[in-house]
Amino acid sequence: MKAFIGLINGMISGATPILLAALGGVFTYYAGVFNIAMEGMMLVGAFFAVLGSYFLGSWLWGIGLAIFGSLALALIFILFAVGLKTDEFVTGIALNLFALGITTYLLRQIFKVKGVFSNPGIIPIPAIKIPLIENIPVLGKILSGQNLMVYIAILITWLSYFLIFRTRFGLRLRAAGYNAARLDSSGVSSAWMRVWSLLICGVFCGLAGAFLSLGYVNLFAENMSAGRGWISLAAIILVNGHPLGVALISLLFGFSDGLGLLLQGYQAPAQFTAMVPYLATLIALYFYAVRAKEKRIR
Amino acid sequence: MDNLIEMRNIIKVYPPNVVALDDVSVDFREGEIHSIVGENGAGKSTLMKILYGLTPADSGEILLSGKTVSFHNPGEAIAAGIGMVHQEIVLIPQYTVWENIVLGVEPVRSFGRLDVEKAQQLVRQKIDEFQFNIDIHARVEDISVAARQKVEILTLLYRNVSILILDEPTSVLTPQEIPQLFNELARLRDNGHTILFISHRLEEVLELSDRITVMRKGKKIATVEASQTNRQELARMMVGREVLFLSRRTTQSPGRVVFHIENLNLRASDGRTRLKEINLDVRSGEIVGLAGVEGNGQFELVNTIMGIQKPTSGRISVDSTDITHAPILERRRKIAFVPQDRGKMGASLTADIVDNAIMTHHRLNDQFSLWSGLLLNYPFARHFTDVLAEKFAVVMPSRSAPFRALSGGNQQKVILGRELMLNSPFILLDQPTRGLDVGSIEYVHDQILHMRSEGKAILMISADLEEIFLLSDRILVLYRGQIVADIPVEQTSLEEIGTLMLEGKPRDE
Repeated sequence: MKAFIGLINGMISGATPILLAALGGVFTYYAGVFNIAMEGMMLVGAFFAVLGSYFLGSWLWGIGLAIFGSLALALIFILFAVGLKTDEFVTGIALNLFALGITTYLLRQIFKVKGVFSNPGIIPIPAIKIPLIENIPVLGKILSGQNLMVYIAILITWLSYFLIFRTRFGLRLRAAGYNAARLDSSGVSSAWMRVWSLLICGVFCGLAGAFLSLGYVNLFAENMSAGRGWISLAAIILVNGHPLGVALISLLFGFSDGLGLLLQGYQAPAQFTAMVPYLATLIALYFYAVRAKEKRIR
Repeated sequence: MDNLIEMRNIIKVYPPNVVALDDVSVDFREGEIHSIVGENGAGKSTLMKILYGLTPADSGEILLSGKTVSFHNPGEAIAAGIGMVHQEIVLIPQYTVWENIVLGVEPVRSFGRLDVEKAQQLVRQKIDEFQFNIDIHARVEDISVAARQKVEILTLLYRNVSILILDEPTSVLTPQEIPQLFNELARLRDNGHTILFISHRLEEVLELSDRITVMRKGKKIATVEASQTNRQELARMMVGREVLFLSRRTTQSPGRVVFHIENLNLRASDGRTRLKEINLDVRSGEIVGLAGVEGNGQFELVNTIMGIQKPTSGRISVDSTDITHAPILERRRKIAFVPQDRGKMGASLTADIVDNAIMTHHRLNDQFSLWSGLLLNYPFARHFTDVLAEKFAVVMPSRSAPFRALSGGNQQKVILGRELMLNSPFILLDQPTRGLDVGSIEYVHDQILHMRSEGKAILMISADLEEIFLLSDRILVLYRGQIVADIPVEQTSLEEIGTLMLEGKPRDE
């Protein structure tokens, strides 16, 4: 039973950063931006979260700085891809590599360590205990006691759905992706919708990064996003950007993440278990491609 | 009636030296349907784009209700009450009709929520006011082109536009759909709207308009009352010489069967039938016209003939050789093919003219290769291009210019020339004159008729019924993947074919 609860909780905390980044990507997906920079935004977010939490002494400052760092990356993306109309894919690759370089550099310059910075002075984002619910057997250990960011992610899932499908903003956002010319001719700038989507993506990826370094673990490690941004991209594409579908896929990836950790307990090589989420991505992509192929022929 | 809009001394020059509009002055009255006619390149669209704020004029002024105006973008024009429906309809296929219409001026409730009920109610109001017949909940990808055009018009009416510019709206409609559009336009005029109608189809212009402005080569020739002119006069003003609207087809009896399709079926992977029991013969010296509303299987039929899609069952043969399963190159020995999409399937826009001119020839004709096919014989290729250009009157800057530097008419001449010089017994033409001006169309038609007199078997697919009637010996109608009619041209009428295209069967008496 304990192993089971551990697996479920592993799944939830594994899913949270992917979900948050993917929800950010959902906005750019609908706005018609081919955005692959979630990986870099998340990594920068994770670094700045530790920076804020350690030096300013509060996890709130950590989250604030994480959003700031991630947004800075989003602004560079906006300047190049929207403003100067550079290729989105190349811009995204450049930003991801830049994010890896700058965080590693700053880690060594500011904290004077290589590889990992771990310190009791990093204040983590707290877990939230919900009274009454925490007393329910089994379920209580899952529903209650999760990290604050897990609950925020659930809230943001619903918020994203609402924004995209129920509001004027959402109607225009999707229009920008479906047919920008039509949106422009109706008097709304599609470029601005792309800017908004990237800003939202920046905020969400900042949250994802903050959870990585102040929730999932309590440290910063070089390249600690470890491909989660790419997995979030896969999640978006697999469900054609639907926020609820993204949540489901994120849980699936989270599960393989948790499974990897569990297998490690049974002496499976760490390199192999670390491979599991990516293997899951490939399998998911295979099924997606088969489905897409059938659609195309039709 | 007062002049609502006056355009005075408009000049527009596209660098370096193309004069699109040469001192054009024209006025539009309140509550009239005013047509602007002219060949492609006459400047009619440019004139309207200047009025709508899409392109700036180099000089001249525009007065709206007596006041000088100048719009820098369409948004400003719409705010002033001028809206334009473009030839290419730009809608969001994934959205419903009402979502497309309200996009940009959506009613909202608290938290920026869309006020769906109010939006639908406002759209319905406009539809009722002008008696449009359209389902506001339909998804745009599921509705016909005619309905999409209505959505465009409604989008402008929803924004309270009183002056509507329509750029060749009938070019995408079937003959049956045109009267409905005209009724709606007439109703709009009776409600006080002003309609500016760009076209080059003279009969419909005469039928619809109150006044007609004729343009030629960037100049305004005249503005006339529709009731005081006729087709011959308009055509003379438009082209600058007498134009004959007669078929130049000579009587000639067709020979042996060259192209033969037997019980051809094509089912898509989703199980839907795309082509059903197609039986088709084309004889030597015969032009068979295939009519049909787009999307009824023309695309699939062409693809199957050319080997791009594999039929589920059936047989295709040319000159008694079965080519049903032949590779594409093998088919090209027997089939000359002019595809409808010049820029994608017909040619490579970025490659130069020589490369485009020798495509297919370079694989089929040994004269194009050196060292047993390792090298292309470029001197011969250049010579061949010159011969083609000479024979098909191609006007080109230089042989090595990229294909996209040619005008649409000249591009089509190169493609047509290349295909006809293959000297194949069977010629497949898919919309051979789409997007060409009157002069080029006349030329292409002459070439097609010339091939007929040389004894080629020709299958022509066209959305332009007039073209089909002008050239074909027999007319077939494709409806939902089936051939529902096969009638000699002398025994049918535009109306009959139009009905068959829309309903798949003759109208009940």
